[in-house]
Amino acid sequence: MTSLKLTNLSKRFGGVVASEDVNIEVPTGKIIGLIGPNGAGKTTIVNMITGMLPVSGGTIHVGDTDITHAPAHEICRAGLARTFQNIRLLGEASVLDNVMIGFHRHETSSTLASLLGLPASARETKALKARTMELLAAFDLTEFSDYPAGGLSYGHQRKVEMARAVATNPNFVLLDEPIAGMNDVESDALADIFEGFAQDGKGVLLIEHNVRFVAKLCSYVYVLDGGKLISEGTPDHVLSDPAVISAYLGGQDA
Amino acid sequence: MSNFIAGYLPLFDLYCLHVGLALSQFIVLRAGVFSLATAAFAGIGAYTAGILAVDLGAHPVLGVLCGTLMGMLVAMVLSIPLARLRGVYQAIATVAFIQICLSLNIYSESITGGAMGLNNIPKTVGTGTLFVFAALATYMIWAIEKGRLGRAFNTIRQDEAVAASLGISIRKHQMLAFAISGALAGLFGSLEAYHSYAIDPRQFGFHLLITVLSYVIFGGRNSVIGPLAGAAFLIILPELARPLAENRMVIYGIMLILVINFMPKGVADTAIDAIKARRLTAKRGDSA
Amino acid sequence: MLAQQLLNGLVVSGVYALFSLGFTLVFGIQRILNLAHGAVFMTGAMVAYYTVDGGGPLWLAFILAIIVSGCLSVLVEITCFRRLRKTGDEEFGGVVSSIGAGLVITTIAQQISSTQILRFPFETFPVVIFRFWDLRVSMLQLFMAGAALVMVLILGYLFYKTAFGRRVRAVTDNERAATLMGINPNRIYMQTYFLAGALAGAAGVLVGLAFNSISFVMGEPYMMFGFAIIILGGLGSIPGALLASVIFGMVQTLTIAYLPSGLTDTIIFAALFLILLVRPHGLLGQEDAGNLGGRR
Ligand SMILES: Nc1ncnc2c1ncn2[C@@H]1O[C@H](COP(=O)(O)OP(=O)(O)OP(=O)(O)O)[C@@H](O)[C@H]1O
Ligand SMILES: [Mg+2]
Repeated sequence: MTSLKLTNLSKRFGGVVASEDVNIEVPTGKIIGLIGPNGAGKTTIVNMITGMLPVSGGTIHVGDTDITHAPAHEICRAGLARTFQNIRLLGEASVLDNVMIGFHRHETSSTLASLLGLPASARETKALKARTMELLAAFDLTEFSDYPAGGLSYGHQRKVEMARAVATNPNFVLLDEPIAGMNDVESDALADIFEGFAQDGKGVLLIEHNVRFVAKLCSYVYVLDGGKLISEGTPDHVLSDPAVISAYLGGQDA
Repeated sequence: MSNFIAGYLPLFDLYCLHVGLALSQFIVLRAGVFSLATAAFAGIGAYTAGILAVDLGAHPVLGVLCGTLMGMLVAMVLSIPLARLRGVYQAIATVAFIQICLSLNIYSESITGGAMGLNNIPKTVGTGTLFVFAALATYMIWAIEKGRLGRAFNTIRQDEAVAASLGISIRKHQMLAFAISGALAGLFGSLEAYHSYAIDPRQFGFHLLITVLSYVIFGGRNSVIGPLAGAAFLIILPELARPLAENRMVIYGIMLILVINFMPKGVADTAIDAIKARRLTAKRGDSA
Repeated sequence: MLAQQLLNGLVVSGVYALFSLGFTLVFGIQRILNLAHGAVFMTGAMVAYYTVDGGGPLWLAFILAIIVSGCLSVLVEITCFRRLRKTGDEEFGGVVSSIGAGLVITTIAQQISSTQILRFPFETFPVVIFRFWDLRVSMLQLFMAGAALVMVLILGYLFYKTAFGRRVRAVTDNERAATLMGINPNRIYMQTYFLAGALAGAAGVLVGLAFNSISFVMGEPYMMFGFAIIILGGLGSIPGALLASVIFGMVQTLTIAYLPSGLTDTIIFAALFLILLVRPHGLLGQEDAGNLGGRR
């Protein structure tokens, strides 16, 4: 079984230490939680894993492959996909087009075919459209396929972003606060989808502020504060850890 | 009647040539590169073809082929350093590149004819050829738009982080966009050389940059209709009335300001969006 | 001979400083590359010429040139950039819009001047040559250097020592926060553009006098040199632009004096290209956000 493994991962922004000696392991088929107060450094970790921020120290491995310094697009090809905390869709493009680009790494028609408009290119576009529609159906988004993604409700936009990430057919999905701003019905529907990911054999790293949601879904939880891991273990263990409680209370005071 | 057509033929020739250059500008912008180097690539193509024709008496087919390849090659080389830059920095670097080409051209008088330009190029390219190439170029850009490359270009332009996170190599695609842009500009530059007897360095400077950029901005930067419509409008408009023709550049300038401020997507793309939106509303009405 | 060249270079540097300070000031405050700046510069020279041509004294020509260029620059801000700033498309849109404005201004100037090269009447500026040691300095050169120095000092004073300067810097740092503090950013922008345009106009007059040749295209090379200078100094950096102006003026004068004449421009722009690659943020500029920051 492969896993996504962070070893002594560190990041400094000038003088600010955003993460220090973080060790996290995400096995496939499991949902792993990452929680922590605002500014704890959670997003920074996702950005480092996905190659959007250079790493200051430590390593990142997928299975035996070292991806610490790989460029972002190769990291995707190593089987990692992410969503963004502040949703990043192509606002004016349709939902269909937004999700369709997720299939990019599986496109096989040659550059020449695309340049010359050969049948292979048209066939591929058509096939991808069909696959995208299937995926949209799985996320209950079919009726929105032609609408500009930017005009959708917040919850739907999150789902579009997730569908796009899944389209890359990743082994690991990194979700940065995927249910922020959703109501209970919407978030329950997403919980089912996340469990579906795990059953498909994907490893999920779930960043979330809603502790109840994390406790329900995750088999193992890491707690970050000030860039350092202050606790880890099963949800029950972590949530009763005095260090975690004080970090959250302290965080709320500030 | 035939007089009437003959009177407008030069305009049509100009349109075909400029559509090619507009598409060259269009494709880099579409891939999210703020390059303004099309004028320089066109000059490189034109001079490659012109020198081959005048000094070596080369066959036009060979000249056009070499002009195209040269434009493409230079563009690909240029894309390597430009990949390090973004936004206005790219724009400045490409403008500097145009200046370098221009001054090198004037300096290398023995090869290029210097400021006097290159004369006595046999006129072998006529309206038919220009039209065929313009149509082919349009088809190619349209095909790109419909396929894998168009999707990748679109994503890169709108959000590089998203593109990279989906496995799209920004460097590779932008280099490809440059290669296409350089090839198109080189092609239409060399056609221009074979079409007009003479070329001179100033033809491929700031003025051409502005003209070509105007077409794309005015028409639109998203759909291939944009540059076609933009070039048509801006070439025909000044012909409609004498005062307009005399103030051609003032009109271009005012158009640039008005369009980028009030219709930033360009006329054609705005219209296309409006049609799409109307269709969606109609669909919603049906299903309700 | 070298000393003479360096002296000439220093005078040229002053003109470049006037031109590029405004250029970089505008970029610093709005992240906008104002490509109409060269046309504003040319307008200064034109206004001065027509004032003198109409019988006005040179000092009046100078003042009028400064005022008109300043106002024109404000007009460019209002017509070209104000709306784009609201829609947040000023990086790309600003370049396009200001190319448009530059085109309109230069074409109108072309028609007014009938595409002619204009020359001041003989002795508009008294031809007096001073000699000391082995060097020759004309009165005009002294005037140019003096005028440039005075204006740079005034700008420096305004920018670093007055409430206006503090407001400009507040708006530069964070427009929203500055607005909350009761600063009207549009007013600050107009004042900044006026200053930028006035400096460019002054540079235009000085260049027109120095070469006694004024034409509607005279702004174009200065625009290009301006690029080189503000990139070298770091886009938006005032001390950087000053330093780069001096370096650029010197290097240009020396290349013209000692290298094959046709290659000067090639060398300068090749250097600009290299600087962009090696130090895109210039000698004294600050680093921008990373490439993947998703700014577009
Ligand atoms: N590009 C950056 N430059 C400088 N500092 C940064 C940068 N990105 C993040 N930081 C700092 O790093 C720390 C961690 O930020 P991060 O966004 O990772 O927190 P987070 O745990 O995701 O918070 P939230 O729950 O609010 O999303 C913060 O102090 C933040 O200010
Ligand atoms: Mg975060």
